[in-house]
Formats: sequence, C-alpha cells, structure tokens
Amino acid sequence: MPFGYYARLNKKQQAIYRQSDAVTEVRLPRPRDLDPLVAELGAALQSEVRARTQRATEELIRGLTDALEIAPVRVDVLAARPHARWGELHGLYTSDGRRPPKIQLWMRTAKQRRVVAFRTFLRTLLHEVGHHIDYTKLGLADSFHTEGFYKRESSLFHQLVPTPATERTASSVRSPEEYAALPLADRLARLERTPTELARLLRGRSEAVVAQRPASDAWAAGEVVCHLRDAEEHLARWMQMILSMDEPVLVQPSTADRWAEDRQYRRHHVGAAWDAFSRRRDETLALLRDVPPDAWRRAGRHRRRGKLRLDDLLNLMAWHDDNHLDQITRALDGRA
Amino acid sequence: MPTMEDVARQPLAQRLDRMAGTADDLAAAIRGQSDTILSRRPDGKNWAAKEVICHLRDTEELFAGRFELIMTMDQPKLPPLHPSTPDRWAEERQYLRNDAAEALGAFRRRRDENLAFLRGLSPEQSKRGGGHPTRGTMTIDDWVTLIAWHDDNHLDQLVRARDGKP
Repeated sequence: MPFGYYARLNKKQQAIYRQSDAVTEVRLPRPRDLDPLVAELGAALQSEVRARTQRATEELIRGLTDALEIAPVRVDVLAARPHARWGELHGLYTSDGRRPPKIQLWMRTAKQRRVVAFRTFLRTLLHEVGHHIDYTKLGLADSFHTEGFYKRESSLFHQLVPTPATERTASSVRSPEEYAALPLADRLARLERTPTELARLLRGRSEAVVAQRPASDAWAAGEVVCHLRDAEEHLARWMQMILSMDEPVLVQPSTADRWAEDRQYRRHHVGAAWDAFSRRRDETLALLRDVPPDAWRRAGRHRRRGKLRLDDLLNLMAWHDDNHLDQITRALDGRA
Repeated sequence: MPTMEDVARQPLAQRLDRMAGTADDLAAAIRGQSDTILSRRPDGKNWAAKEVICHLRDTEELFAGRFELIMTMDQPKLPPLHPSTPDRWAEERQYLRNDAAEALGAFRRRRDENLAFLRGLSPEQSKRGGGHPTRGTMTIDDWVTLIAWHDDNHLDQLVRARDGKP
C-alpha cells in the first residue's frame, strides 16, 4: 500500500514511485571490506571531533559508491542540526542537475548539541546515500520515500552492521529492578540498541506478517512499533516535566490500548513508525546524556506507581524496550 | 469567525454548547465525501480535512491531560507544546492513513469525556489554573474559551480543505 502522498503525485511521478517501491534491496558485493570504515566512523563520532567525522564519513561514502560502481558524491558533515518544519533536520541530499550532487549530515542535535548516536548517524548517512543510489544506480528520475526506499536503506544498514548470532529469548527481558543494578552507561546503551534490534526483527517480514495479530486481543508487531513510538514521546515528556518542575504529577490521560484504537495503529506503515521512533529515541538519549548526576534523583508522582525518580523511569524504559522486543518476537512467530 | 476575545465574552454555557456541537458539525462537513477528497491537501503545506479531524482528536487528549494537571497540582507549570508539534504529530501518527470517520468517533468520545468533566466543576474549580509558557496563567475557564475558538478555527479550516482551498 503506497504512502498517503502517492495520491497527490501526478501520473509520471506515480510511475516513478511504483518503480522505487518495487526494489527492496541493494546488495554490496563484499560488505565486510567496509568494516574498518564503519568502525572508524563510530570512533570518529565518539571523539566528537568534526574534522575526523568528516573524513570518516567521506571514506565510508566513497567505499559505498565504489562498491556499487556509481558516481561519487560530495559530503559535508556539519555541527548542530537546523530545525525543519516538524523537528530537527538530520541529513539532506541535493541534486539539481547543474551542480554535482551533495550530501549534508549533521552530527549534533539542535537543542542539546550532543553528538548523535552512531547508529542514528549511520542510518541518516545511508538514507541520503539511498537518494544518490536512486538517481545513479536505479536510474530513477526522482527519489521518493517509498516503502521500497526504506527497505533498501535497511538492507544497507544490516550489511554494514550485521545481526549477532544470538536470537532474542524471553530471558532477554530484564526487570526494572535488574536494570537498577546496572551502571548508567549500560542502561543508556540498552536504549540506544533498541531501534537497531527492532529493525533486525522486522527485516524481510512481509506486510501481512507484521500486521498479523497472534490473538484477537494481542497486538501485531506493527502495532507494537507504533506503541513504542508514542510511548517514547510520552515518557520523554514526563522526563522533561521532572527536570523542570518540583515533583510534578505524571498524568496519563490515555491507555496504551486506547492509543492503538484511537490512533488507528493497524493502518500505520511500520517502516515510517520505526523511523519516527528512532528519531524520538535519539532525542531522548540526547536529553538523558545531559542530565547532571544529582538530577537523576528528581522525581514525579504517578497515580499508581507513587513516587517515580528519573532514574526509575530510565529503568522502566529499558524494561519496556525488552518487554516489547520480546512481544514482537512472539507476534512474528504467531504467538500471543 | 469570532476571535478568541469574542469567544471569551460568551457565557460559559454558550462556550460549552459550542464544544458539544463540534463532533456533529464535523460529521456534517464530511458526510458523503470520498476518502480521496478528505485526504487531499489544498496545497503543499496545509492539512487535508482528515488531518484536521485527527488533530482535534489528539489535542482533545492533550486538553484532558492539562485539566488533570491543573486539578491535581497547585498552579502547575504547564508543559510547553512546541509550535512544530501538531505538524510532527500529523507526520508521525500518519494522519493521512487514518479513516476519517473512525478518527471522528475517537474525537467524539474524548470530547464527551471532557465535557462531562467540565460540566461537573464548581465555579471555584473553574478558576483553578496553570502557567502557560506564552499565555501566562490560564484557568480552566480560559481553556474552555481556547477550545471553543480552536474548534471554530479548525472547522473553518476543514471546510476550506474539503473544498480544495488553503
């Protein structure tokens, strides 16, 4: 099913859209050859040095265009993200036919100016390279955000960051109390991994499988992704309230099931929902990485759970991720 | 269309009646319209009719949260809503993939709940308020004004979008 904007395209554009949608994978001949370039990009981002990140990004993109035997593309790695119409701009591909094409990537968040997480940066990089591939390898006259486009982006990501041999099991679910015993860095790392783990679980699954409810009262995998997206916004708002108010009441005007029904999760496109979740998660991580040590004890009041410290919310969030990743694994296997 | 100041001068009962009529007004505005018409944006930046309905549904939940905060805290600082949030919701919550009639049903349920809450308040309770980041202190009575005006504004927008006008 095409995205909503398909209906607004003219006939020529619709034909391009359908062509784009039909291609779901871009294979790299020897993806492991690029491992050192991917590792250097991770290290460069961690160093927070823009010039090093610029070099590492250039080399990885050059590695990709060489491997795919397409024209090179210039890249500029810039500092803090500008604001787009509905949020922060992560990356941009421009190709007007007159000047050589160019990719711009931003390595810091707009508000907090924190360096973005490695996986998010790599995803954005591949997204923009994806537009370049559309024009230079697939020969498309325009580059639309189709489901096929997102699948191609995912296929490149998973070739560069392969799946670990271990599969998720129910024992992967840690309780909030177990998370409380872990160092802060480990708990933040748990949150950072989730978008990738989610993408890995969904990779290659048909729309029908993702939309299939294992029981009439149990969510389909796609609905769980929508839930994670909306919960991320909700929990981040609670965190902001705790940081800016003294013991705020953490109101909850809805339930998760009501969101699913009211917001019509079953009609949502799961790739776009994942994208939104991933962006929200990146913003949450930027917020949490800026929390001063003594502020983790700040708290809000929850009607059912009582006093909830920021630290408790982080543990809940980590457990919540585990729990829903496990639920998706089961839903995809047809188990409630 | 009345301004917010015009609406503020209306008695509370009239503003609540305005709120009570909105779901039916929306239903009348979309009756018999195809999904193609309701999904059509009048231009590159303005919402389609069904996006307006989804926006009203989601802001109704937001208003309920604000009422709860005002009732359970003493003059709370109300969390700011970034001006880009409605557009971000439209994109992230995939308003264009929604079914307009179902979204209207969800709005109607939320609206009925908010009206039941508002009609149960004593005059003193209606004066409880919270600090809005740009409008200063806003009492519940002020929120009723804002919602009634917001309804008018978006009903007008929906009719224009339905007719292909920005």
